[in-house]
Amino acid sequence: MMYPTKLLKGGIDPPSVTTVPPGSAIVNAALPSRALIPLLQHAGAPARCLVKPGDLVREGMIIGRAEGLRSAHVHASIPGVVREVRPFTLPTGESCEAVTIELGGSFETSGKPTVRRAWDGLHRADLLQKIRAAGVVGLGGESLPTHLKLAADAGRAVSLLAANGLDCEPSLSVDAALLRQKPAEIVEGLRICQSLLSPRRTVLALGDHSEELVGEFERLIDRCGMTAEVLVLPARYPQGHEQLVASAISGTPPGADPTVTVLNVATLLAVFDAVVLERPLIERVMTVTGSTLSRPQNLKVRLGARVGDLLEECGGQPATQKVVMGGPMRGVSVQSLDLPVTKGTLGILALGASEARAPAELPCIRCGACIEACPWGLAPTRLFKLVRIGKATAAFREGLSRCTECGCCSYVCPSRIPLSSILGQGKLRHSREATR
Amino acid sequence: MSAPPPVPPADAPRPSSAPRPGVAPHLRVAMSSKRMTWLAAASLVPALGLGVALYGVPALMVTGASLLCALAAELATTLPWRRFTLADGSAALTGLIIGLVLPAGAPLYVPAAASAFGILVIKQSFGGLGRNWMNPAMGGVVFATLSWPGAASWSIAPLGWPAGAALTPLQALRAALSMPGSHQATPLAVLEKAGYSFSGLDSGVVGWINTHLLSPAGLALRQGTLDVFIGHVPGAIGASAPLLALGAAYLLHRRVIRWQLPVIYLGSFVVLSLVFGGLASGQGWSAGGPGFHLLSGNLVLAAFYAAPDPVTSPLTGTGKWILGVVLGALTFLLRYFGSLGDGAAAAIVLGNCLTPLLDLWTFRRPEAASRGAA
Repeated sequence: MMYPTKLLKGGIDPPSVTTVPPGSAIVNAALPSRALIPLLQHAGAPARCLVKPGDLVREGMIIGRAEGLRSAHVHASIPGVVREVRPFTLPTGESCEAVTIELGGSFETSGKPTVRRAWDGLHRADLLQKIRAAGVVGLGGESLPTHLKLAADAGRAVSLLAANGLDCEPSLSVDAALLRQKPAEIVEGLRICQSLLSPRRTVLALGDHSEELVGEFERLIDRCGMTAEVLVLPARYPQGHEQLVASAISGTPPGADPTVTVLNVATLLAVFDAVVLERPLIERVMTVTGSTLSRPQNLKVRLGARVGDLLEECGGQPATQKVVMGGPMRGVSVQSLDLPVTKGTLGILALGASEARAPAELPCIRCGACIEACPWGLAPTRLFKLVRIGKATAAFREGLSRCTECGCCSYVCPSRIPLSSILGQGKLRHSREATR
Repeated sequence: MSAPPPVPPADAPRPSSAPRPGVAPHLRVAMSSKRMTWLAAASLVPALGLGVALYGVPALMVTGASLLCALAAELATTLPWRRFTLADGSAALTGLIIGLVLPAGAPLYVPAAASAFGILVIKQSFGGLGRNWMNPAMGGVVFATLSWPGAASWSIAPLGWPAGAALTPLQALRAALSMPGSHQATPLAVLEKAGYSFSGLDSGVVGWINTHLLSPAGLALRQGTLDVFIGHVPGAIGASAPLLALGAAYLLHRRVIRWQLPVIYLGSFVVLSLVFGGLASGQGWSAGGPGFHLLSGNLVLAAFYAAPDPVTSPLTGTGKWILGVVLGALTFLLRYFGSLGDGAAAAIVLGNCLTPLLDLWTFRRPEAASRGAA
């Protein structure tokens, strides 16, 4: 297989915790009898709550209105009665309001025949409005409202539109599974985005686990008369990072070209749902896996479903010692199984005792493994020492701002130093100092 | 903080078996620095075993003294602060290397002082593991060699050699080359002419190979080939290059050490010896005997166990290449032109001084740094 030349340097090939084969079917999770829906499921400010306890809500009704530029609407994922609206703390530490809906009433969209709406004649603004109304955000982890990415100014030419089919973390196979099971919808979603951005070049990037799909996607792209290439990139972590995908395709250094737009294939599917089916984003596919689960699988889950219920559905065992929302490299470990899944939940990992044990930190032996692993060319061993002695500004002069906290350095560190988390703290401290 | 301690919702009922917290990433490589150190120590056991077999109790005494003294020094500098660092293996490895580098005939204060100096002055006074800028084992050995040049090189004859004190082949070579008219094509030829005798095992095996295998082809091995090759000569306790290389091969396989520094180090030493080695003693070009010098002294041990010590070697690949060449050149100069020791330990110590500069010179800051915070 010929790869493009500008692939990531460094990175890691970790043994994945139990994987879900991308070819296995995406299973619909049982409907939650209660959904706990935080009104902050996107990059910007929390959405404003539109409901109060006792209200009846329909499936797909807006319950939180976007407030501010980077905010997105939040919809009711199940029909029923609003039981509670209360302050809520997300696993990331941010707080917002959360709406509890108790299942009831009838389904108006689920299980009904789908009507496909033509969109070719629609005006740009109408298309964007549909995407915005559906509350679509980036489903690859960054959760930026998608209409912002697609609302290119008239003056700005988009050099590259890339559909990212690489799962952003090892052990997760959401994108690989969607590529296999929703290829036509993904291509249609890409065509919608292409018509909005008019990029000079459109590329669908697949991970090498999905190499056999190249022919199928090329046929699909031909059939709808679209101009787009299909490329294969190695699925080494973190090649799936937005900037690294763009860099691999365009050959420019990561982050150097601001006119690149990268959308994850799960997001393209949400765009398709929003525009063609006029369905809001009320469910998403996530990988529920881990060494203590007897049936790891890719689940299609209603937003607001309880983490504990999903683990149970995948054969959760009492041996589970640690639960992570997200992937093994960047996920957040949670201490309550009552947390809900949100638009940004890529997966849920259930880890056993050996994986949950926090390794004891040893002194840095300057082995340089972190330097070899860093995909951004940084020297984490120098940066973490600077941050620890309170010299975050000096660390910035050595490139700390480029750190994405991908976790490669922490993964390879034989002294088990939590490098990426220390660097993250340093970035935060520096930005606080800068704003002061 | 970007990865704050996850706060469970205040009112969420916490299950009795709440999952444990932890910062991302939630996967780690299996190899820890602790395991790397202990593997390095374990891979030295074959060489130590041969040393003990050849020298008996004196070898045990010397290695025991260096090991115990290293452990005691580490304890003395950590226990008062309620820390316990022996488990990281670093002190044990230092003590073991010092023991293997010294001859079995050395009085016990030599290994004890070398270990104490290495741990107390070189390592702990700079802040302990990871903060020292010089390899503690090599620094300790150089300290002892400079303090007691005679005592630190008192070699005794190994099993199979005439009993009593003995010169190492390297010392004998140095003495012979200082006599006028002793110049021969190779070090072993010089030794033979100077009347240096090897073990009975060597003469038997080499004689048999010469008569049965090589004489039809008109070839002959020199006396001492076998002894020098397997390290069956007076000298350091851990002098067996093949056994050391075996341990190093295991470490390379487990990626405890990387090939770059040792290979460049030994490679540049061999090239320099081959080209310029003979000039040192007036034997002319290409008469340096790189094979003999590679296998003698502590070169192999230093190349695989001291040079790639991550704490004291450069972080960058370029830095490692440069240091490798510098170490090869320094060892060559000290070995052929120096008068003390075998040159390897002193070369490592001098090379370590360059490491901070090499890091400074060879580390390329990422492009964004010059553009300022993005």
